[in-house]
Amino acid sequence: MLLKIDNVSKSFGGLKAVDDVSFSIEKGEIVGLIGPNGAGKTTLMNLIGGMYQVSSGKIVLDGVEITNLRPNKICRLGIGRTFQIPRPFPDLTALANVCVGVLCGKPRPHMSYMEAMLDASHFLEFVGLFGKRNTLAKDLTLFEMRSLELARALATTPKLILLDEIMAGLNPGESRQAIDLVRRMIDEYHVTILWIEHIMKVIMEATQRVVVLQYGQKIASGTPKEVVNDPKIIEAYLGEKIA
Amino acid sequence: MLAVSFLLLLPLLLSLVGRADYMSLITSANVYAAVAIPLAWQMTGIGRMNFGPQFFMGLGGFAAGLLSIHLGWGPWQTLGVVILFSASVGLLLSPLTTLAQGLYFSLITLILPLMLLELTMVFTTLLGGEVGLSGIKPLFEFGSIHVEQIVSCYFSLLMMLIFLYIVDKTMRSRIGLFAAAINDEENVAEACGLNIKFWKMLCFVITSTMVGIAGWFLAHNDGVFAGSTVLPLTFMIKILLVVIIGGRGELYGCIVGAYFVAVLEKVLVLLGAVNYILFPLVLLILLFTLKEGLYGLYRQHKYREYYPTMRVRKR
Repeated sequence: MLLKIDNVSKSFGGLKAVDDVSFSIEKGEIVGLIGPNGAGKTTLMNLIGGMYQVSSGKIVLDGVEITNLRPNKICRLGIGRTFQIPRPFPDLTALANVCVGVLCGKPRPHMSYMEAMLDASHFLEFVGLFGKRNTLAKDLTLFEMRSLELARALATTPKLILLDEIMAGLNPGESRQAIDLVRRMIDEYHVTILWIEHIMKVIMEATQRVVVLQYGQKIASGTPKEVVNDPKIIEAYLGEKIA
Repeated sequence: MLAVSFLLLLPLLLSLVGRADYMSLITSANVYAAVAIPLAWQMTGIGRMNFGPQFFMGLGGFAAGLLSIHLGWGPWQTLGVVILFSASVGLLLSPLTTLAQGLYFSLITLILPLMLLELTMVFTTLLGGEVGLSGIKPLFEFGSIHVEQIVSCYFSLLMMLIFLYIVDKTMRSRIGLFAAAINDEENVAEACGLNIKFWKMLCFVITSTMVGIAGWFLAHNDGVFAGSTVLPLTFMIKILLVVIIGGRGELYGCIVGAYFVAVLEKVLVLLGAVNYILFPLVLLILLFTLKEGLYGLYRQHKYREYYPTMRVRKR
């Protein structure tokens, strides 16, 4: 078991954004995390990534408890992530962005700056951005920014990658490219993925298991086919009448 | 290289044409640059605006002055103590870089030099009050004021160039990359594995020590050191303007900005009392018309590398 979420809750004052959620992810799995807007998906991702402090519960990564550790420590233990709204380092070039991931992720005390740049080039080439390596991140298109974030996350040599709505805002052509990129990433780097996504087609095709959140609580878990046909899930997304 | 050669020849040329009185102008410009260069690194490396860089100048100057006056130490003896003292105080205050959120860091750094200024007025016997400390051992003693002026001028230039070299090398290394990442997106940098607390504290300690050394130089160069000269807001504004007019935190731009501010100050003084209005007016006009400072005029024709955005963070 790579990741175990044990009765994790998060409250912001009186609002319980994540309420007693438990599930686990096996090594090599691709798990989808779905739910209507405001269900607590990104909050859960931020709790796993260490950007928020857990109010109660435990998170264990590969046998090591990571609850409430600083994000940099969690990254070094093996979790990389992308963001719902792309957050590259805007004034740095694409190459420098990925170089940050190379130098700061997995501890590499003997790696020189030049070697890190070379390593970063490989990741840029993988996501198809080598030609834009000297472009400032703020000058990239949305798809390119998302690809850059993926390259930067991969550069930290993670065991688990948290993908947060990487298809959002992409046109159909770009969405297909993004799915291919994720598939190649799985084949080449053998990473485990926790994937928040709203596009059901992607969830159905790409994930092996789906966890569903609503109002901060886990309401279902299973294969994509099971989950999509569950009346509780249909009610959560479309309302009682349709369900 | 051309610019460095020009800076190296300038004091000599001025003394040869009989304008040795401009030595103090060049020395002032070099001191401004010597404070602005580490400040530019600090603003990027901690992602916050420091509104009180002169606090460490005050610490360095007073430490050097007190040791020189009461223990009879020469400048080279006080230098070691000033470095240790500035680094220790920098280390003590460095948690502010992570604990003080948003605007609070800027506000706290704004207050620190004013607090030190008040202390100099309260402890007048020790710190000299309005008049400051006098009788500090000079940096160089050659028996000729003219020669001492030239040597001090070159020493200030050497100090500035050493700071420039150190900061430039640092900003071109992985440390500079980390500083840029922290300045751009601190939380994301942490999520990528960067230990932002460590790098912010390191940056603050090193840059504060450098500014303390500039204070040491001022004390021994002038033979007097008064808090009322370096600690008030007017001096802070000058330094910030050097940073911004030079090129918004651009290192080489700090030198351009320093010389520009020093020359402008000198030229406008000749106009009499009206310079109190003209000086800030000219600087304001430059701030609005030259978005990237004076150095930006050069950069427009050069491939754009990392160019930091100065951020006033709400969180």
